[in-house]
Amino acid sequence: MRALSYQGPFRVRVEDKPDPRLEHPQDVILKVTRAAICGSDLHLLHGLVPDTRVGHTFGHEFTGEVEELGAEVTQLRKGDRVVVPFNISCGSCFYCQRHLTALCENSNPESDIACGVYGYSHTTGGYDGAQAQYVRVPFADVGPMKIPEGMEDEEALFLGDILPTGYMGAEMGEIKGGETVVVFGAGPVGLFAMRSAWLMGAGRVVAVDCVQYRLDFAARYAKVETVNFREVEDIVLYLKELFDGRGPDVCIDAVGMEAEGSKTRRVLGLGLKLEAGAPTVLTWCIDVVRKGGNVSIVGVYGPPWNVLPIGTAMNKGLTLRMNQCNVRRYMPHLLEHIRDGRIDAKGIITHRFPLEQAPEAYHLFANKQDDCVKCVLTPH
Amino acid sequence: MQTHPIPGAAADLDLASRPGVPMERAPQPLPGARVPIRHQRSDVRVFKHVGRASLPPVFGTAQPPHGLSGLLRKVAYAYPDHLARHWMGLLLADRVDVWEHRVRGVLPWALPAVGGLTLARWGWRRFATR
Repeated sequence: MRALSYQGPFRVRVEDKPDPRLEHPQDVILKVTRAAICGSDLHLLHGLVPDTRVGHTFGHEFTGEVEELGAEVTQLRKGDRVVVPFNISCGSCFYCQRHLTALCENSNPESDIACGVYGYSHTTGGYDGAQAQYVRVPFADVGPMKIPEGMEDEEALFLGDILPTGYMGAEMGEIKGGETVVVFGAGPVGLFAMRSAWLMGAGRVVAVDCVQYRLDFAARYAKVETVNFREVEDIVLYLKELFDGRGPDVCIDAVGMEAEGSKTRRVLGLGLKLEAGAPTVLTWCIDVVRKGGNVSIVGVYGPPWNVLPIGTAMNKGLTLRMNQCNVRRYMPHLLEHIRDGRIDAKGIITHRFPLEQAPEAYHLFANKQDDCVKCVLTPH
Repeated sequence: MQTHPIPGAAADLDLASRPGVPMERAPQPLPGARVPIRHQRSDVRVFKHVGRASLPPVFGTAQPPHGLSGLLRKVAYAYPDHLARHWMGLLLADRVDVWEHRVRGVLPWALPAVGGLTLARWGWRRFATR
């Protein structure tokens, strides 16, 4: 089959690879119909995720058709169209039983900090991902959700990662009605966090980014106010002033470890690797949110550590909540939001590429060219 | 304050409608879960972190470790993943992996080219300078 192959930092190509095979009786093999490029794939591309091996295939946001079934799979049939959570979860361990499927302890031998994830290095289990023509899907009766008849794959595609992640980001902000919310990052996860904040009854939602076309998109798509932090002298003081001098009730970090905003932090973290990336936005969240407020972290950070103002957080009495998204528990509820028109998931797709053009797609997405918001590959 | 910013605003105002509330549900297996889980068999080398007694029942087998980078990964996995040296060791192995692949990529033509040039230089010195 043809598949994306990591060749080193900033380099991917598409090459022939052996087809995946059934390795466990609960596996299925999917023919991939859509595979999105996630913002977190860029951390892999940039060589920031430990144990990313040459030849690895990325891709954890995908839909597909069941092509081959393991002996113990009973809920799926050949030809079923499914959307798959990015977490590989057994459904029966301590964590899965509590619906914390992102913490499954039966799918990742290499680390205790995360469960198995498709195409996200050996730090998350060493599974090749779905930016390919075919992919192996373990625990197939637990994770994948059938796409309803009459629904396009692209309408369901983001149920596997970024839509539940954005929703969970807003949910962890503990919005009870009327709160003021700042979402840092106007990328796809941030967009869904903004819409989700409205769904939960937020009173005011402001998006912060430095890429003006993305802020313009957020204003249209999510009906939010926008702030370009490159146009203000001090974003922390500016945002506090915007919210009565006190700061917002909730700050959501939808950016993660490659944040812009501080050249020093980028040099120390991304360049010299003295910490794991640049947590500039997380630092802003802690500084900006009002005392007693909530900081919700869905932007991806990695090991081993980061320098953060924990003293500020402690003295301000903040609640910090964070997690990789436990996708499976969100899928049915968010599917209803899509079907009833409350969330236009497909509306954030701006670019589509055949699999053979995946390197160009990565380049465009990583460099935010051509007003790109979300790129989707079409292997079939 | 915007009262109707998007269609369906406040549709999930009720905490009971939110899938992630409460964070932990009363434990029971998820639909489709099968227990016990049979253990995957593989002859591919897979590292496990120090805190695990054995491999989990399901694991990935992509890109088995090899060469010098594989040796460095083996050393890194001897440290628990709460220590920075585990992660920095893996990052070093990643870089070595890239160079191993680049060297392997040029060997098919580089070795014969170097050999040919060496032979030509020897031949020139031996015969042309007499």
